[in-house]
Amino acid sequence: MGPLRAMIVREAKIRATNVTFLFFDLFYPLLYLLIFGVGINAALSPARGGGYSVFFLAGVLALANFGIASSSSWSFFLDRDNGIFLEMLTYPMRRSEYLLGKLLFNIAIAFVQAALTLAMAAGFLGLRLDGRRLPLLAVLIAVGVTGWFFLYSAIALRIRRNDVFNSVTNISYFVLMFASSVFYPLGPLPPWLRTVALANPLTWEADWLRYATLGTGAPARLGWEAAGFALFAGASFFVAVRSLREQG
Amino acid sequence: MAAPALEVDNLVKVYARRGQPPVRAVDDMSFSVPRGEIFGLLGPNGAGKTTLLKLLTTLLRPSSGAARIEGFDVALRPLEVRRRIALVLQETAGELLLNVRDNLLTFARFHGVAAPAARRRAAAVMEMFQIAAEAERKVQDLSGGTRRRVQVAKMFMADTPVLFLDEFSTGMDPILKRAVMGYLREEAARGRTIVLTTQILSEAEELCGDILIMNRGRQVARGDLNALKLLSAGVSDVALTFAELPPGLPAAVAALAPLRSRLDGNTVELSLKAEEARVLEIVGELSRMGRVLRVEMGGASLEDVFIELMRGQ
Repeated sequence: MGPLRAMIVREAKIRATNVTFLFFDLFYPLLYLLIFGVGINAALSPARGGGYSVFFLAGVLALANFGIASSSSWSFFLDRDNGIFLEMLTYPMRRSEYLLGKLLFNIAIAFVQAALTLAMAAGFLGLRLDGRRLPLLAVLIAVGVTGWFFLYSAIALRIRRNDVFNSVTNISYFVLMFASSVFYPLGPLPPWLRTVALANPLTWEADWLRYATLGTGAPARLGWEAAGFALFAGASFFVAVRSLREQG
Repeated sequence: MAAPALEVDNLVKVYARRGQPPVRAVDDMSFSVPRGEIFGLLGPNGAGKTTLLKLLTTLLRPSSGAARIEGFDVALRPLEVRRRIALVLQETAGELLLNVRDNLLTFARFHGVAAPAARRRAAAVMEMFQIAAEAERKVQDLSGGTRRRVQVAKMFMADTPVLFLDEFSTGMDPILKRAVMGYLREEAARGRTIVLTTQILSEAEELCGDILIMNRGRQVARGDLNALKLLSAGVSDVALTFAELPPGLPAAVAALAPLRSRLDGNTVELSLKAEEARVLEIVGELSRMGRVLRVEMGGASLEDVFIELMRGQ
């Protein structure tokens, strides 16, 4: 537990040095819900299940996990620029512990963020979440952050240039976010966009979060989406650990 | 009998390059270092020192051969190796967003030092390195030299048996450098093994009981200072300080074809490979060119040995 604890404390101390980090991790997704969600809700007639904001809640939780993992991958660049990255690889820990420590910290942040989002949804949107679904929600958040964290870690470890990394993350962020079920249901989409969205791990995560918050979703589809996300997270983990082993 | 601190057997590291022939950055090196030694690793830029250091600290895997730290193979038991080493890289490395104290405590936490002991130790180490006044300042707000102090200071936060220091004195003022050299000697006396690479040969001369000179990935020479100086037998160092620099002096020095020479104000320093009697004659000839305030003569320095060996390469 020593190296993992040391890694988590280190990440927490670094994150606590800058209010901007905390804002983007914890509060930025709430703005989506409060501004974008409420705006769209007011513009459209209330949809089934209590309005757009309630539909969008799962999307916000997925976006938050995705955002936390993607901004955490920046820490690899920061560590590399600061020269501490190579030094840390000689500290008494396994490469997997290095990644796992960062991941556990990200999961902790994601839990705090989800608690804030749910409190906001309950307070302002009138969402009544079934308490029995909370354990499932916690598992989904942990698994979601894990998949995205390893994907973005692998990308950050393989790309050495800041500008290339920026371009890759910005483009992938845009495609993954809008070609998914985060903002809208997939049913009315044109077939090509629906096909892309169905193959998008962010859709799989958002659908499961929607099931955990609203109880919606077809069991068959949720089944293969869960298998798909597990495969995606496993493959990302494999590539991330391999990328880390190749550093030096 | 306890294993040596470092054992290197036929170690090879080959870098494959796309469309170009592979580079043997470390080429069949073998040596061992006993515990408690200050071991100097010297060589010109590109000699393979940093690659060797990365192999020994588990940052790179060898292409062939083996290296062991305190008996643990760097490729097969990297975690055991990491438990026994600490590394100061050539590049300044630090947790820039954390303050000085947290930098020290973070390092200690990773090395399993209990929190109360780490706090006490951090206070002492900050005094040693004259950074106590900066304890609460973020490292990103410090000068390059002070950052380097923090980086080297971390090595004193945990009792890892082997220390690797890559150009440790970069950015340190002479007084602090001298103090740190003293600390390193104390650590070696306590049984820690210190491996240092340096381009400043006087540092190696002063600190290292055992020196390995490498070039193009291979060992060129190995031994203590006296043994290495024998490799350069017949080389003498001369320094003459004139009241006023004689106009013909630079040409006269060049005509002697010294191994190396340096003109600094009114002082000329040169290394000559010649019989002692001839060296005395040369000193006499140069002294007659102007009023001499000071004359110094001595045997070969490590720098002379180094230059002589590199010329041979």
